[in-house]
Amino acid sequence: MKQKLLGKTFLWLFFALPLLGFSQGTVSGNITDSSYGGPLAGVNVVVKGTSRGAVSDFDGNYSINVNSFPATLVFTSLGYETKELTVEGPTTLNVSMAESATGLDEVIVTGLGTSIKRSNLANAVATVSNQELVGTTAQSTLDGALYGKLTGVNITSSSGAPGGGFALRLRGISSINGNNQPLYIVDGVYVNNAEIPSGLRFASGANRGNEENSANRIADLDPNDIQNIEVLKGASAAAIYGTRANAGVVIITTKRGSQGKTEVKFSQDTGFNTIIKRLGLRPWTAQSVEDTFGAAEVTLYNQAIANGGLFDYEDIIYGETGLITDTRISASGGDEKTKFYVGASYRNEEGIIKNTGFDRFSLRANVDHKISNTFNFSASSNYVRSSSSRSFTGNENEGGLSYGYTLAFTRPWIDLFPDETGTYPDNPNYSGNPIFVRDLAKNEDKNNRFIQGIKLEANVLNTGDDAVKLIFNGGADFLANETFVYVPETHQAQRGNQNGFIGVGKNNFTNFNYQGIAVWNHNAMGGDLALTSQGGISYLEQQADLIFNQSTQLIPDQTNLSQGSAQAITQNTSVVKEFGYFAQVEGNYQDQLIATVGYRFDKSTLNGNPNKYYGFPKASLAVNLHNFDFWSDGALQRLKLRAAYGETGSSAAFGSAFTGLNQVSIGGVGGSSISALKGDPNVEPETSSEFEIGFDAGLFNKVNLEVSYYNRNVSDLLLSRVLPTSTGFGSETTNLADLKNYGVEVGITVNPVQEENFFWTSNINWWFNRSEITRLDVPPFPQPGAGFGLGLGTFYIEEGKPVTQLAGNVNGVPTQIGNVEPDFQMGFFNNFTIAKQFDVSFLLQWKKGGDNINLSKLLTDLGGTTPDLDTPEAQERTSLGFVAERFVEPAGYLRLREAAVYYRLPSSALAFFGDTVTGVKLGVSGRNIFTITDYSSYDPETSTNGGAGLSSGIEVTPFPSTKQFYFHLNVNF
Amino acid sequence: MKIIQKYYSIGGLALLVFFGAFISACSFDEQVDPNRPSLAGVLTDASQNQLNNLVVGVESAMRNSLPIQTTASGTMARELYLFDADPRNTGDLLGGNGSNLDNNSFYSTAPWGGRYVSIKNANILLQSLDNTTSVTDTQKAGYRGFAKTVIAYELIEVLKMYNRARIDVADPDNLGPILEFDAALTAVRALLDEALSDLNGAGSEFAFPLAGFDGFDTPSTFAQFNRATAAVAAVYAGDGGAALTALSNSYFDLNGDLNIGPKHIFSLDSGDQTNGLFKIPDNNGDQIIVHDSFIADAEAGDTRVSSKTLIRANPTTQDDLSGAYQTALYASNISPIDMCRNEELILVYAEANILTNDLSEAENALNVIRNSAGLADLPLPIVPYTAEELTTELLNQRRYSLWCENHRMFDLRRYNLSNTLPIDRAGDQIFNIMPTPLSENE
Repeated sequence: MKQKLLGKTFLWLFFALPLLGFSQGTVSGNITDSSYGGPLAGVNVVVKGTSRGAVSDFDGNYSINVNSFPATLVFTSLGYETKELTVEGPTTLNVSMAESATGLDEVIVTGLGTSIKRSNLANAVATVSNQELVGTTAQSTLDGALYGKLTGVNITSSSGAPGGGFALRLRGISSINGNNQPLYIVDGVYVNNAEIPSGLRFASGANRGNEENSANRIADLDPNDIQNIEVLKGASAAAIYGTRANAGVVIITTKRGSQGKTEVKFSQDTGFNTIIKRLGLRPWTAQSVEDTFGAAEVTLYNQAIANGGLFDYEDIIYGETGLITDTRISASGGDEKTKFYVGASYRNEEGIIKNTGFDRFSLRANVDHKISNTFNFSASSNYVRSSSSRSFTGNENEGGLSYGYTLAFTRPWIDLFPDETGTYPDNPNYSGNPIFVRDLAKNEDKNNRFIQGIKLEANVLNTGDDAVKLIFNGGADFLANETFVYVPETHQAQRGNQNGFIGVGKNNFTNFNYQGIAVWNHNAMGGDLALTSQGGISYLEQQADLIFNQSTQLIPDQTNLSQGSAQAITQNTSVVKEFGYFAQVEGNYQDQLIATVGYRFDKSTLNGNPNKYYGFPKASLAVNLHNFDFWSDGALQRLKLRAAYGETGSSAAFGSAFTGLNQVSIGGVGGSSISALKGDPNVEPETSSEFEIGFDAGLFNKVNLEVSYYNRNVSDLLLSRVLPTSTGFGSETTNLADLKNYGVEVGITVNPVQEENFFWTSNINWWFNRSEITRLDVPPFPQPGAGFGLGLGTFYIEEGKPVTQLAGNVNGVPTQIGNVEPDFQMGFFNNFTIAKQFDVSFLLQWKKGGDNINLSKLLTDLGGTTPDLDTPEAQERTSLGFVAERFVEPAGYLRLREAAVYYRLPSSALAFFGDTVTGVKLGVSGRNIFTITDYSSYDPETSTNGGAGLSSGIEVTPFPSTKQFYFHLNVNF
Repeated sequence: MKIIQKYYSIGGLALLVFFGAFISACSFDEQVDPNRPSLAGVLTDASQNQLNNLVVGVESAMRNSLPIQTTASGTMARELYLFDADPRNTGDLLGGNGSNLDNNSFYSTAPWGGRYVSIKNANILLQSLDNTTSVTDTQKAGYRGFAKTVIAYELIEVLKMYNRARIDVADPDNLGPILEFDAALTAVRALLDEALSDLNGAGSEFAFPLAGFDGFDTPSTFAQFNRATAAVAAVYAGDGGAALTALSNSYFDLNGDLNIGPKHIFSLDSGDQTNGLFKIPDNNGDQIIVHDSFIADAEAGDTRVSSKTLIRANPTTQDDLSGAYQTALYASNISPIDMCRNEELILVYAEANILTNDLSEAENALNVIRNSAGLADLPLPIVPYTAEELTTELLNQRRYSLWCENHRMFDLRRYNLSNTLPIDRAGDQIFNIMPTPLSENE
């Protein structure tokens, strides 16, 4: 029986195949925006029911091979309504697509193995497309590129140095000592975003590694490789990620190939960096010199004036114009079985301080292959080599290295340039000469990184009403980081003391993770109810081995570790393993009611009990009122009500459970001394539970509105509390408090003008967050590592107060003196397409409220160099003495974050190149073009304590932020 | 058709087996710190090696935060200024512009914390000794005598700075109260006596090496350090008789080398510390500047001024303070710092004699110090010097003999003379007690 059936099939195929051959052909045409008729680039065209696809070019032209007619072509593009058209044979098919302002058809990942259309989503998941991320201006790092583009996101910059130093906070502070940075997942790989200290603190005297202003390693990802970013901001959306998701999840999908003609793209950005603003010189007069430094100093001042004027060291150190180039080439394409995207890019960015810079070489190969109807796999490979030279900025203690410190004390009549023999004079005003440091000292890092993701899918069952798919995905992220710090023995703070410093770090990180998921799609109630169920396991392992080698008492001019007579090595290793189960069921009743319930169990070696499972539930409901029969179309075209609840966790940092003894020595004999950290052997993860409600509405065909309110409670907050030091311990990380965050997020997209020659899209994001510590089991305390004590101002953990409060001693009583939380933030993005060929866009970001503690000013006040010291305001300030309130400043701002003008060459102009060139786009753009702020230092976005934990709003002599301008050239072949 | 479906199922089954293997294999081991030994590991059945490592920890931590302890109290007592990038060194500590001492700034938290790390290490050693059989009872007595003596020495440092101390800190979860000066000092003196009796039963050799205790590294010679400390504590308690008794069993030698005594030693070795009170001569931005009054008030020819200070190539100014001299107390960043040298014991002897009213012996001792500094004997008075006059002279000699060694602030406080200190800038204030750190949660 079976044999006969097969035989018949073959017979049938024998006849049918030639026929199929006859009906093959190409459909091509032009895709335009229906509103104004301009060309639409990047539209995906797929033959329905196959994986055959193509993408439209800059001029909206596409061409696709169709195997069998009649066929249905599906046209999709982010932000446009999907269109399906049937073709009967090879033809020219011009398509006009209508804008769908909210991207309702966009697909959002909500489970680990499943996704859902945005229109059915019950959470406010923010997505950023490649166009939004890098379409306006060139971006150095992907986190820095997100400024102002998402609601509920706060970005802190700890350094303006090339190569980043950012921290993302999603919906406020979710953790104080646990992980406060979101989980980054790139093509299924949990990637490393460590901020790796270089050990320069052993030369500069900075207190901790987080004061070294290192970059965070998400900087290794080329933002141009990214197709799409999804940001799961809170527990209600991210619950299925369990104990890694307390601070949110950033899911990054890189570009992939599609079937069709191989497309080659070349783009070149060339630009420059300059300091964001100059603080300037104090307007010195002989009188003010005498009043400040005494009569003897006036002689030096007069000498300098006579010899050609004062030295503006701010300009000398920070005043360089850094050249930026970014070159990219990529090819993508594929056939029915195999699709590929390969790309290479090289970015080179010079800083505004001589000898600083960042470069990144990135290679990517993404391959999708269909093995059979059952099996298919995808592989995503990315090799990155990046390096940076960040020189010396930020906090220090008498190292004579950090520029901001040196400049605060250096008087502008002192000549610090080398003499004709190349000898740098000592700085008579401070322990270091900034010109010496700039020219001769080094703080560099190199990273070799390989990120490999893999996904294997098996469609094990597919009947009409049931489909079962097994998915295995995972990957590895290997990072070899090397740091190098060198301070020559001739530096004035080294001579006679350390006599030169070399610090070499060799740091290896291996992260790998995998998931096994089974997904079952079932149609019930005659197709009215679609059920998507999934269950699976997840495993994660993170290994780190950080070795720091230090050599001092150097042989002159030598930069080799062995050329010093005093050497020290420190090593820190860690292995973290986590394992979890998860399951989720989603039901969709006719796109009217969409409900999801899910649960995840996780255990982690970071918890006191490594084999105890912690559970994280989630549930959500979306109601699409406009899909019900009673809905009648009016001004309000769409209305979706949604509610979601979820829980996530965060485990304590590695080592929190251990009480150990540190290595010390005296008299050539080694020994053990108690470590400052008292371990808690019962430490548990902190748990966040979030409830979110909101609605999405579409009005007048022009306006889309998305409003969400969330309330998140973090219970058993992990706190590194200060212990009475008479115990011999300094701190303990344990579960001590509860924290509440709540806020509102509003997103509005409007298309005010949709004329043929003028098309305007406007997007407003507005949000705020408030926090409160609702339980604290210990007396209030200054957060260790987040400030400089109550004397100068610090974050202060206190029940009933916001977690972001700044406190200082006022008359001996710890008192709130500020709050880094803004009143609200707003992003205002506008895009104009004029006469079909010009694109003009800009992004304004407004941060209203929020305070900083500006301790750079403390230093310049102390050094007598603050530009405003001769004004009455400054005299009032200095009369306060060095108290914390004096340095609190409003840190709100309005900034033109990005702006650009692009011009697309019309097809007629391209004809000049013949067939080879299919699109050319030229443009100019800028980043951080202007800022209006009352803040008196370089940038209100600042953090002297890096990106982790409670860090933002405290400034100590950062690497100044920059503004950047670019010229862009994009060519498609 | 069915064949194909079966093929699918086999593929799925293979994957399920694959996943299943991972699920069953996943039980995590108990975690241990891969980077350092655990505290629990030394608290029970400690080997002699582990005990000796703790001895090193005790000695090493005695040096923690010594620089700031010394410069902060020295600044408050107008012995010196610390000119660096932290304005609190010239602001808060001098009460500049009406500012007060802060109980959550490095100068108040670090000296306290530093002393109690050493005390903690000593307490860990004491606890370990109770739970091990790796050394004999005689050897244990040696460890205990050492640990208790150091705890007492460190508590005296705390009392000098803060005028109070927490004595019972053995159990971090159940701390004893913070005692005021007199009660705390009584407890310290009792602890020293307890340590002495341990040392007396400790045989002839310690089971552990010591660093910086050359000549004081056996139970009997270490007991001399114990008694020196007891003598210091006794005069601080106003008990001259006990001080004299203790001195007689210490290394006090009226005519001996002034520099004899245990020292904090330093090196460039890995894990070791350097002497943070050493400052590069003529360096700016990190310098101990000598208070003008120390130079101006000195008797002509006092060699202690010329040996301890150095005139700068250029005078320096910061925060409206200025000075022309810098520290020369230590020759390099590995020069040792005295814990208690014979010179101090001679001054303690003089003080004890004033307290017991043997004024001529006190004068005699003060003349030994004067002569050693190149100064002549006190001029012969028409009537014998009174106790007050000799006390004034004693404090003056202590000022010059012990400059920048964390004595002046406490000396003036205990004699109620802090208000005699000069004020350098309008609005400055005089403080003589460091506030107890905020983290003590009082």
